[in-house]
Amino acid sequence: MRIRRIQSTLVRAFALIVVMTIALLGAVSLDFFRNTLVDSAKQSTMQFAAQLSRIVDNYITYMNDIALVVMEDEDVRAYMAAPAASSERDRSRIALFLGSIREVRKDIDGVFLVPSPRATAGATPAYVIASSPGAKVNPDYDFGRFASASVAAGLRGDSPFVSSAHVENMIDGRYPWVISLVRGLVGGDGSALGYIQVDLNYAIIEDLCKDIQLGSSGYVFILDKTGDIVYHPRQQLIYGNLKTERIPELLALREGFLTSEVDGRDILYTAKSSGRTGWIIVVVPYFSELLAGSRRAIYTFILLAILCFTVSVFVSSFVSVRISRPIEALRRSMQEVEKGNFDMDITVECSNEVYQLARDCDIAVKKVRDLIEQNRKDSEQRRLLELRALQAQINPHFLYNTLDSIIWMVELGENQRAIEVTSNLARFFRLGINRGSEIITIRTEIEYLETYLSIQKTRYKDKLDYEISFQPELYGSRILKLLVQPLVENAIYHGIKNKESPGVVRVYGEKEGEAMIIRVSDDGVGMDAERLDALRRSLSDPPVYEAEAGSEASHGGVGVRNVQERISLYFGSEYGLAFESTPGAGTTAIVRIPLVEESEP
Amino acid sequence: MIALALAAALVVTLAFRKDSAHAVGREKVVAIFKTGAGANAFWAAVGDGVESGAQDFGFEVSIRAPRDEIYVDEQIGILREAIAQKPAAIVLAAADIHRLVEPVRDAKALGIIVVCVDSFLESEDADAKVGTDNFEAGQKCGAALLRDLRAATRDGKPRVAVMSYVQGSSTAIGRESGLRDALADKADLVGTSYSSSDGLIAYRQAKEILAREPALAGIAALNLPTTLGAARALVESGRQAEVALVAFDNSPEVMRLIERGVIRDAIVQKPFNMGYISMEEVRGLLAGKRPKPYTNTGSVDVDKANMFDPENQKLLFPVAGQ
Repeated sequence: MRIRRIQSTLVRAFALIVVMTIALLGAVSLDFFRNTLVDSAKQSTMQFAAQLSRIVDNYITYMNDIALVVMEDEDVRAYMAAPAASSERDRSRIALFLGSIREVRKDIDGVFLVPSPRATAGATPAYVIASSPGAKVNPDYDFGRFASASVAAGLRGDSPFVSSAHVENMIDGRYPWVISLVRGLVGGDGSALGYIQVDLNYAIIEDLCKDIQLGSSGYVFILDKTGDIVYHPRQQLIYGNLKTERIPELLALREGFLTSEVDGRDILYTAKSSGRTGWIIVVVPYFSELLAGSRRAIYTFILLAILCFTVSVFVSSFVSVRISRPIEALRRSMQEVEKGNFDMDITVECSNEVYQLARDCDIAVKKVRDLIEQNRKDSEQRRLLELRALQAQINPHFLYNTLDSIIWMVELGENQRAIEVTSNLARFFRLGINRGSEIITIRTEIEYLETYLSIQKTRYKDKLDYEISFQPELYGSRILKLLVQPLVENAIYHGIKNKESPGVVRVYGEKEGEAMIIRVSDDGVGMDAERLDALRRSLSDPPVYEAEAGSEASHGGVGVRNVQERISLYFGSEYGLAFESTPGAGTTAIVRIPLVEESEP
Repeated sequence: MIALALAAALVVTLAFRKDSAHAVGREKVVAIFKTGAGANAFWAAVGDGVESGAQDFGFEVSIRAPRDEIYVDEQIGILREAIAQKPAAIVLAAADIHRLVEPVRDAKALGIIVVCVDSFLESEDADAKVGTDNFEAGQKCGAALLRDLRAATRDGKPRVAVMSYVQGSSTAIGRESGLRDALADKADLVGTSYSSSDGLIAYRQAKEILAREPALAGIAALNLPTTLGAARALVESGRQAEVALVAFDNSPEVMRLIERGVIRDAIVQKPFNMGYISMEEVRGLLAGKRPKPYTNTGSVDVDKANMFDPENQKLLFPVAGQ
C-alpha cells in the first residue's frame, strides 16, 4: 500500500475546498455582475437612442417651422396662387426671402417654392423659386417627384412629408445629399397650388452620428421607415454590399433590442423609432466593450483567486506540518523501538492528542522494557535453581555411599548386583543431567524415581521399601525435572533412615481437577509440630535466590525451598509444596502443579 | 498544486497580452494608383475604399501615384521606392501590363504581398487581383451603344468611334475587346484613338473625329477624362442628338451630362469596393489564407432614367464628407 502523507492529504483537501469555493463564488457573482452590467448598458444605450431620436425630431420640427413661416408669408401665398401673374420683382423678392432663411441657417441646404404644373402651364422650372440667388433650376428636374406625396400631406394639413436621404438635383450642376421636408399648399377653393420644399443638409445628420463614440467600435445608424439607410458611418460599405445590417428584423422590431454577431463579436442593436419621421435610430454597441468592466472584474477576480489559493496552500502546509511533525517524531521513536531500543524516553513537543498518544506509547514501551527485564531475571533464576537442583542431586554422600555399596558387592562377589547398581547409577545420572529439557513427562519422572529408589534399596536393603503409583492418564503429563527426587531423598534420609524398623516410601500421583497432586510420603519418624512449623515457614519465606545452603536438619532445608521456588516460578504462586507430618507416624510432602498435557511446552 | 497556480497565472497573462496585442503590430501597406486621387473622382473613391479597409483591418496605409497614368517610369520609380521600404503588402494599379512585371517580381522575392487593383499585369505574379471585369464592362458599353444607336441609325451599319486612353493598359485593352465583341458585325468601328487620359487631348481627338465623320452615330469613350473631353467636343458640335456618347466612370459632371442627354449611358465601376476588397485580400493573405485569384467588383449601366434610383444615387454621388 502506498502511504500517503498527512501533510499532502491536508494540503490537497484545503486546496480543493478553496478552489471549489472560489470557482462557485466567482461563477455566481460574475454572472450576476455581468447581467447587471448588461441591463444597465441596455438601459443607457436605449436612453441614448431616444435622445438621438429627439434630436432628429427637433430638426424635422425646425424644418417644418421654416416651411410654415414661408407658407404664412403674404407674398408667397399670392405668388403661389397665381405664379404666371407675378412680376420679375415679385419673384426676386421671394427669392431674397428664401435666401435669407438659408443664409441664417447653414444646416438648411435649400428652400424651394414649386408651383403646381397646372398653374405654370407646364413651364415649371421657370416658376420655381429657389433660395440660392442666381441659381439656375435644373431644366431636366422631375417635378412629379414629390407632387403626389405633397398633395396628400398638404390635404392632411398638419403633417408634412419627410423624405429619406437623397441626392437633390433641383439646382443645375449641384448634387448635394439632403433630407427633404415637403408641405403642400392648398388654395382657398381646396385646389393644390404646389408645394414648398425645405432641404436639410445631410451633413447635419452625418455630423450628429459620426462623432458618436460607443466604445472603440460601436456606432449609430438610421433607417427610414421603408428600411432604406438614412445614415450609416460605413455607408459606402453598405452600398457596396460589403457590409450588411439586419434591416428586415429591425424594421419588424422598430423599438427594442436585437443581438447579432459581426466578425465573431457580439453586438447589440438598440432600435428606437422617431415619432415625426418614422425613422429608426439604431445604436450598435459591442458587447465586449459594454462588458469591459466585467472583463476587468474577471481579471481582478482571477488575481484574487490565485492569491487566496497561494495563501491557502501556505496555511494548510503550515497547519499540516504542525499536525504531522509530532506524529513523525513519534513514528521515528517507534521505529527505534522496533529495532529493539527500549532504553529511551518518548517525548513529543506538542500539546494535543498526539502528546497523549506519545505518553501512552512511552508507558507501554517502559512496561515492555520492565517485562523484558523481569523475563531476563526469571530465566536467570531458573537456571540458577536448576543448577542448584542438580547440585543437590549430585549429593556427594549419596554418591559415596552408593560407590561404597558397589565396592562391597564386588568384594563379596555379588557381581550381578554390583553391575545392576552401577548401571542404575549411570542411568540415574544420565536422566538427571540430561540437559535436553527442563520439562519432562511423568513417564520419565517415574523411571527416574525408580532408578533412584532401586539404588537406595540396594543400600538400605530390607530397611527400605518403596511404591510408585501414578494414575495412568497422567503418564503423558509434564513436570519439572528433579522436582520429586529431592522429596524422596528427604523421605529416606529424614524419615526412614532414623527409624528402627523398615520403612516404606510411597509416591502417588493423581489428577485433581485441573491440577496434578503428587504425594511423597514415608512412614518414618515424622516431625513434631515445632519442626513442621519451621519447615512450613521456610516455604513461605520470600525467595532468597542466593541463599546459603540451610541446615540439613530442617528436613531437606534448601532442597525443599528450591522445589517450592521452582514450582512457583514456573507455574505461579498458587501452586507449590505442602507438608503434613505426625511424629512417629511419618511425613507426607504434597506437590501441587498444573496439569499440562504432552506436546505443550 | 503549483502547476495549477502557474496555469492560472498563465491564463491571466495571456488574457492581458491579448488586450495589448490589439494596439501593436499595425502592418504597413502601400497603395500605388495610376493617378493621384485629388484630380480624379474614380481614384478618390478607390482611395476611400483603401482607407476604409485599412481602418477596419488595422493597417497603416499610404497612397501614392504618378502625376498621370502615362508616366509609367514614374510609377515604376514609386514602386521601387515602396519596395525599398519593405511594407507588408503593396496594392498596385499597374499603369502598364508589361513593364510593371519586373518590379512586382522583385517585391515578391522580398516576401512582399502584391495585390493588383483595377489594372493588372500580363503575368500572374500578383497574389490577388481585384477589379472590374473590363471585358464584361466593354460588352455592357457595346450593348448600351446598340440600344442608343437603334433610334439614330437610318440605314446600314452605324459608324462608331472608339476613344481609348492608354495603349498597353490592361483595363483599356479589356474594355475595347469587350466593346468590339458586343458590336462585332453590328457596327463599323472607325479606329481607336488614345487620349493618354488627358481631357484636352480627348477633346481635340473627338473634335477631329466629328469633323471627319459627318455620319458618326456613336462614340464609346473608355474612361473618365476621355469621356469629358469627348462630351465637350460633342456639345460644341451640337450633334448630341445624332451622336450617342456612351461613357465610362462617373463624376458629378458626367451625371449632369447624362441629365442633359449629352451622355446616353455611363458604365460605372465600383471604385470604393475595389479599394476595400483589395484591403480584404491583403488581410487574408497576411493571415495566410488562400486568396481569391480574381475578384470582379462589377459595373453598372447608368442612364437618365435610373440615375436617381436609390441604389444608383448611392453609387453615383459620393456621400457628403466621405
